[in-house]
Amino acid sequence: MKIAFFRYFVRQTLANIFDNRLVHLVGVGTMVIAFLIFDAFILIFVNLNHWTEEWGRPLTMSIYFKGTPERVVLESIEKELLHFPGVTIKRFISKDDAMETLRGQLGDKAGLLDGLEENPLPASLEIILSRDKTEDPLPYRMKTRLETIDGVDEVQYSQEWIKRFQAIMEAIKLIGIVFGGLLFLAALFVITNTIKLTIYSRKDEIEILKLVGATNRFVKIPFLIEGSIQGFLGGSLALIILFLVYITAMTKVDLGIGFASLDIIFLSPQFTLFLLLMSIIIGFIGSTISLGRFFRT
Amino acid sequence: MIQLFNVYKSFGSKNPALIDVSLTVNKGDFVFITGPSGAGKTTLLKIIFCTEKPSSGHALVDGRNLNRINDRELAFLRRRIGVVFQDFKLLPRRNVFENVALALEIMGFPLSMIRRKVHQTLRYLGLANKEGYYPPQLSGGEQQRVAIARAIINNPLILLADEPTGNLDPDLTMEIMALLKEIHIRGTTVIVATHSQELLKDTRRRIVTLNKGRIV
Repeated sequence: MKIAFFRYFVRQTLANIFDNRLVHLVGVGTMVIAFLIFDAFILIFVNLNHWTEEWGRPLTMSIYFKGTPERVVLESIEKELLHFPGVTIKRFISKDDAMETLRGQLGDKAGLLDGLEENPLPASLEIILSRDKTEDPLPYRMKTRLETIDGVDEVQYSQEWIKRFQAIMEAIKLIGIVFGGLLFLAALFVITNTIKLTIYSRKDEIEILKLVGATNRFVKIPFLIEGSIQGFLGGSLALIILFLVYITAMTKVDLGIGFASLDIIFLSPQFTLFLLLMSIIIGFIGSTISLGRFFRT
Repeated sequence: MIQLFNVYKSFGSKNPALIDVSLTVNKGDFVFITGPSGAGKTTLLKIIFCTEKPSSGHALVDGRNLNRINDRELAFLRRRIGVVFQDFKLLPRRNVFENVALALEIMGFPLSMIRRKVHQTLRYLGLANKEGYYPPQLSGGEQQRVAIARAIINNPLILLADEPTGNLDPDLTMEIMALLKEIHIRGTTVIVATHSQELLKDTRRRIVTLNKGRIV
């Protein structure tokens, strides 16, 4: 491209933005809202994904005993576990330990437990399976074998409910893709119409440019740059707002579900950059669509 | 330079704007197109400038058939045709310099050359001290001269002027006409559409009269 053209496009774009600053402001504002909804949805989706991964990572297995286990029971469990590589014993929790933990968790209401004549909580042994060993059918095989040992009441492992959760996540993912796609189209629609506003506000100028012999490409390029800049501004502002909301939420809200607390993550730098790039691309595509329609009419 | 063959143009209403118009304008001609309001003068200029296409018939400008011209070719053809519009068509938010420079910027001329040519043209049209003014700050005559400056800055082959003196007082009318004659002497084919009989009085130029869309 000739330097003269490049200089003209940059100057023209900046002049257009300045001359039509109100239309631009409305345009960028609309884009911020559209991108914010889209980005917020992505953030929720990323977190749901993150939680499934996190919770599914180390598989903990709890072996509950009938009464207080004999030493021999513990030894036979240890022996049994040797058959399963990648398994470590985390700790033994006696009946008293379990009661202590429960008292701690109940806090002020711990007095409720005073009425109990005997400790109903079972002693247990917590074991951990490394991540690569958590796939079925190994945990299930372990559970079945361990439950045959005398003195063992029940074996529970987290994967059971993780599996259910993962099934829900799969459904959410599917809904997410559909919903995300619809949101993307909605954002594109809003943006296309917003850019159309800026184009129609300058239709006289476009007409004059064409009358003096400007090619369509020459007329379109400043609008494409403008659309991309609008996309960039709308996209970055949406991300900044989302980040500020995230920071505020993180400092003010203590999200906890039961005894486990939720770790909320923000979008990774790469993903943020990707969303920003996508905003620019949407701005560009929106301009292209609007210009196409304008030049056809 | 310009050839129209049996051009017919209808905008869908009962009365067509042009009926069976055939016309040849040679290089270096100065032609007046006249007739009462609604006779089809502006439509004829629009056909030549290709802002309208004939409903039937053919129009050739500088060897190009306007029925078969694509957008890009049209843009390049328009660079060789200067037009002075009845309503000037100046950009109100661009100053005089920028309005005139527009015709050169679209061709990618370097800034130094644009500056030189614009200064030269504005000086020629007596607008040297108005460069920084915006169209709404100028009188009708000055705006007309800015429109002429933009139309001639590329040294066009053809200059089309639609009622160039329509809004002007007699003194300014004479001034603008003198300017158009001067541009013609420099080798440009000039076509002026006007309904003013005053302008045609005593002229020895070719006059094409239109009435209800037909050449009479």
